[in-house]
Amino acid sequence: MLGSLKKLRGYLKISGVASISRRYFVMNSFDGAMAILGVVVGAYGSGAINPRIVIGAGLGAAIAMGASGFSGAYLTERAERKRKLLVMKKAMLADVSNSIHGRAMKVATVWAALIDGLSPMVTAIIPMIPFFMNSLGLISIDQAIWYSVSSIMCILFLLGAYLGRISKESMLRSGGRMVIVAVLAALVSWLIGRF
Amino acid sequence: MTGHNPQVKRLVLDVLKPHDPPIYDLAARLASCHGVEDVDVTLAEIDQDTESVKVSIDGTDIDIDTVKKCVEDLGASVHSFDEVRVVRRPHPK
Repeated sequence: MLGSLKKLRGYLKISGVASISRRYFVMNSFDGAMAILGVVVGAYGSGAINPRIVIGAGLGAAIAMGASGFSGAYLTERAERKRKLLVMKKAMLADVSNSIHGRAMKVATVWAALIDGLSPMVTAIIPMIPFFMNSLGLISIDQAIWYSVSSIMCILFLLGAYLGRISKESMLRSGGRMVIVAVLAALVSWLIGRF
Repeated sequence: MTGHNPQVKRLVLDVLKPHDPPIYDLAARLASCHGVEDVDVTLAEIDQDTESVKVSIDGTDIDIDTVKKCVEDLGASVHSFDEVRVVRRPHPK
């Protein structure tokens, strides 16, 4: 198990996929959380919020974002990695596809696709948990909305803080910036929902 | 039949490799090969996509094929064998 993890780390390092997957992770997690924020606030703004519709629309969006993220990243990364291998083959005057580079290419492609596919799904499903709880009769619909929007704000703040940590900026400021974007998006969704 | 078993004690290779993995990974990988005791890798030339390195390996009984496979598995290739030292030891009874 430890050996496999070490191998995986080696492949990720040699393929240089770590920084790309960091970008994919933040971008797509942001997308997932914002999509559900739009669904929840838009439905609330329209005045007829129904947990079944929120769950249905939210799950549909989460699955669509996951599938699109996985397939899109897989195909894009595969093409990029193949091109990189060709450049290396030209420079080395030898086929390197059976070497560590060929294996790293395959691992990096699947890794990037998994990050790209799973991150929006996870951040979309978490804010829907209060609506599942509401449909089980555990909390009221107002509580579900409140918990859901709060969890989205928390997710976005954490994503912003993570970006701040990467860029060695203030994590608080970077997280706050994300929350401001989310509040503005929520405001627009709510206004659209009202009209 | 001489009754002696030639053993490779030293090997110096000229290797062309991509920039990744770095030379310390190459050295560590070669050091884990059977019969290898000491590895020294020196950067000889650096290009846009590749680098040439001089690899000196000392050991008790170096298996040349294993070393070559190790080098190729890292996406590198052996350009030439620049030095080899072989000793003959009697077969163990």
